[in-house]
Amino acid sequence: MRNGYALSLSLLLVVIASGIANSQSFRVQCPTSTITHPSTLTNVNAEPAYSGPTTLAINSNGFYAPTANVNGAIKCQQVSGGDGYSTMADGTQTFMFSFGPLSGLADIANGQAGTEFPNVFNTVYPGTLKPGDPAMSDGATSGASPGSPSLFTFNGAAGLMPDLDAIASGACTAPCLDGHVDPRQIMDIGVMNGNIPAPLVAFDEDDEMFLTLTNVGMLMRPDLFEQHTIHFHGYPNASSFYDGVPDASVAINIGGSFTYYYLAPDAGTYFWHCHITPPEHLQMGMVGQLYVRPRQDRVPQGTSLYTALQQQNGLGTTVDLRTACNPNNDILCSAFTPAINTGLNQGLDLLGNPQRYVYNDGDGSTAYDVEYPIQMHDFDPNFHFVGMTFNPEAFVDMRGKYFLLNGRSYPDTVATGPQATMSSDGRMHYSQPLPALINIPAGGKASLRLVNLSVEQYHTLATLGIPMKEVGFNAKLLRDQEGNNTEFYTNSITLGGGESLDVILDASDAGCGSAGCAVKLYPAGSVFYLYTPNLDHLSNDAENFGGMMTEVHICNSVTGGSTYGNTCN
Amino acid sequence: MREMTMKKAISKSGWLLAATALALFFVAAAYAATPGITGPTFNLTAQQAYLNQPDGAAVYSWGYGCNGAPTGFAPAAITNATCLTMQVPGPTLIVTEGQTVTVNLTNSLPAAVGNTSIVFPGFQVTATGGVTGLLAQEAAPGGSVTYSFVASSPGTRAYYSGSESDLQIEMGLYGAVVVLPTGNAAVTAACGTLTSGGLPPTNAGNNRAAQVFWKETDFRLAAAAYDHPKTCYDREYLFQWAEMDPNIHAQALAQVQARTGCTAGAPGCSLNVPTEPYKPAYFLINGRSMPDVMDPNYAAEYPHQPYNGNPHMHPGEMTLVRSIGQGRWQHPFHEHANHVRILARDGNLILTPSGNSLAGILMFNTDTTPGSAFDGIFYFTGRGLNWDPYGHHPAPDSFGDPLAYLPCTPDANGYNTGAPTAVNYFEWCQDHNKPMELNPLGDVAGGGPMTLPDPNIFTNGAWYGGNPYLGPDASLRATAPACATTSSATLTCTNLQPANMQANPANERGWAFMWHSHNEREITTNNVFPGGMLMMMLVDSREFVIDESN
Repeated sequence: MRNGYALSLSLLLVVIASGIANSQSFRVQCPTSTITHPSTLTNVNAEPAYSGPTTLAINSNGFYAPTANVNGAIKCQQVSGGDGYSTMADGTQTFMFSFGPLSGLADIANGQAGTEFPNVFNTVYPGTLKPGDPAMSDGATSGASPGSPSLFTFNGAAGLMPDLDAIASGACTAPCLDGHVDPRQIMDIGVMNGNIPAPLVAFDEDDEMFLTLTNVGMLMRPDLFEQHTIHFHGYPNASSFYDGVPDASVAINIGGSFTYYYLAPDAGTYFWHCHITPPEHLQMGMVGQLYVRPRQDRVPQGTSLYTALQQQNGLGTTVDLRTACNPNNDILCSAFTPAINTGLNQGLDLLGNPQRYVYNDGDGSTAYDVEYPIQMHDFDPNFHFVGMTFNPEAFVDMRGKYFLLNGRSYPDTVATGPQATMSSDGRMHYSQPLPALINIPAGGKASLRLVNLSVEQYHTLATLGIPMKEVGFNAKLLRDQEGNNTEFYTNSITLGGGESLDVILDASDAGCGSAGCAVKLYPAGSVFYLYTPNLDHLSNDAENFGGMMTEVHICNSVTGGSTYGNTCN
Repeated sequence: MREMTMKKAISKSGWLLAATALALFFVAAAYAATPGITGPTFNLTAQQAYLNQPDGAAVYSWGYGCNGAPTGFAPAAITNATCLTMQVPGPTLIVTEGQTVTVNLTNSLPAAVGNTSIVFPGFQVTATGGVTGLLAQEAAPGGSVTYSFVASSPGTRAYYSGSESDLQIEMGLYGAVVVLPTGNAAVTAACGTLTSGGLPPTNAGNNRAAQVFWKETDFRLAAAAYDHPKTCYDREYLFQWAEMDPNIHAQALAQVQARTGCTAGAPGCSLNVPTEPYKPAYFLINGRSMPDVMDPNYAAEYPHQPYNGNPHMHPGEMTLVRSIGQGRWQHPFHEHANHVRILARDGNLILTPSGNSLAGILMFNTDTTPGSAFDGIFYFTGRGLNWDPYGHHPAPDSFGDPLAYLPCTPDANGYNTGAPTAVNYFEWCQDHNKPMELNPLGDVAGGGPMTLPDPNIFTNGAWYGGNPYLGPDASLRATAPACATTSSATLTCTNLQPANMQANPANERGWAFMWHSHNEREITTNNVFPGGMLMMMLVDSREFVIDESN
């Protein structure tokens, strides 16, 4: 149903905008060419190397548009807003209000982001998607037996279909993938398909990001006609329109899709969540991870990192003030050119890939070999039960009893592959796709993108053995206004709800100096622990064992990718 | 079930009701600044009274207040200031660096409460009179004590009871000390003075000149937060965070009433109120819960909660956030829309080794820690959205609206700061005229990357202007041209705001952002959402006059 007040509010808009409004309420958006990424100048389906700022000039329409050296690409993702079930480490099925994947289904099942280039997003599934996919197609039979996640390989937008009406009217030529969707497929995939954490979002600086939220409704709570939104937490200089606060912008009704548009902000670890009745929707599970990779990842091999950052910061021949950080002009930027030029050039990491970084550091101080987003959260089973059973919710008594890393408690955190849950529709769903198992090649460095999304408490996470180097806080590089790094080593970090920070788990032998260690400090085959010293959080409700803990495995080598889903050899 | 009805009514569909109620409150604009009393001698009293909460509760509390009229109030532009004998938080004590501050505290609490006191962390305090206590010299019931200290360095700091603190702070005995810098030549060169305005070095431009042009009163206490040229600011707000467990307050009231008339120090004339287990149900900013916190300073509805939380700013204005954790819990204070640069903690400016620049970290969640204060700078410009937030036209439009077609001349930082008189002062020029929507939206040009869907699938928020844009006429142009500027009689025109239910003055065209505790359970009031530690921050278009005086 349409909400009466929404209708009355929107009457004027309807009158004015009816000519332009798209009549279909479920739809996706993933343009293949934009003002900022014109397909005539760049391949929008790949990340170009960063060789300097984009050249901009005022075009015939009176605004700045790129003329050369276009940076970044177009990225798209679709998520559902609805409900679902997850499995706690003591076996309890837990009801959630939740987001689920509606694009990048195979990537999500493999522990990666569901963020796709247009040429992947804009593909039509060759068959018919089945309720519960990809878990059903993969043959999942239980939480511990997720089937074979390699069977289902589709990463496009669920429901995307040729717009036959537009083709028939001559407005569009086949295949006419203009965002038109088949709502049945969206409902088949989206309903009861909640994930905790919500689908991972990851993209690159200079990208345009089209994030579509499709509200499929909550099967278990037909009494609630809940809207949902997406709040991109930490987006600098956010517009209120795309900020996802329902009071300050729009909330998406059941049966509707809304595409949030973001030009990638500065690199860093952010996160996203629904902003409707936050104490309820966040506790119930509508929280996901989101990070933006730095331009420095794209600096060509052999190029000075320092020089590349100088270019970003407006010290080169072409200047793009949007990417510039000059602390004398901007009190809220941190990626200033470092005080010391380490002379480091872009190279390869231990996996043989181009070296990657958490921030545009200009000195290599945030380099890593493998990266793992980790979401700290806690579920109050009483609140979730009440949320499923139409009972009054009490916020004062809210208290987490399941302590989660990526939606799982120990020992589920170290199980590889997606974790499946049978929902009330009788089908298996991938409810917790992200493990929290950290594989590090011997002598390597792991970037942990840490977020706490608890709605009622601070959590501490500590490491035994391998030190943490804290390099970023709240999506900003730790660096003062004169370019001095203010990073530091620690063995524990503490975060409140809605906070993020970046640490490098440093398993290198840096402590032994340039000569290296006679015996590796962290030899292959060793296992370390990442756990909460809030010791009462090392439990799974009544079980006095488990909770917020996972393992760090040191490997001879890591293959099959630099994040979850990889293999420790 | 009554509770459920209540909760669901508000959280699910009741935003309309809540917003309507809010709209009534918002007949007059209500802003915040950093109001307080000036000294350097302060005559305070500690007394009991009831605090009003939005669920209708009147919570028995203790607080500091003025013992007689204070020396003065600040900022001077707020003319309706009062200081009753009890308020929560206690009066904000505004002094200037180097002053010798004298605080005479009289204990007017019920005799059964026993002694009370004030500690001033960060200052070297000497006390005269009173009786000896553990953390501070105390005032016995009916008695007094005098504290004296030199306001040795600028900044925001807490003060609170040093007597039976677990109970007395819970009951409301806390407040803030703001020490203003004396300044120096470097600060004056960079920040100007309160009368001359200035050029913030961190954002070239002249916000003060723009404020003067639009006839905006200056509500700052100083031109800089510290004796440092990188601490200039254009606007300031003080937030004190605390929570209340109503059971503790109820027990305190019951015991005080049971011991009415007892003689202080006599057997049985004392309280035994357990402060554990602790289950706070009220989460307060400046002693109030949302939506009350967004009502004006000194509002008559809250005689003992004079301070509000209702920040406003224009694009590009450097906003000083003064924040103090006053309860016993930490609260992750999330500022939507941008980061905050931490300038100082507990009055200690955080600088680079050279002392020339800032070294405090950038946070989008500024944790408030019990007993701890920070000062930080926030601003908002809309930089980097990749679409023109004002929805400007690249050419004059057919309706002859001059505001639709404005120049944007970038300064060295990319902002339109050449003319402080411009409505789009501090616009980020790189996105000037750049469309957001593929299709034209009302009068706003199309061609952008987005296609906005059928508005029927939205539910509009109470602070939403009905379209994505900012500016005095942008919302009208984006829907229907304003009648006053319509040149063709055949076109529809409107004087209505599209949403027409903004919880803001009818002439305010602002972008609203939520500033709240991100331990989201704390944005409730006694189990009801919304409430608690939640306020809306408004980024107002330049022409809107932000008047913090009411």
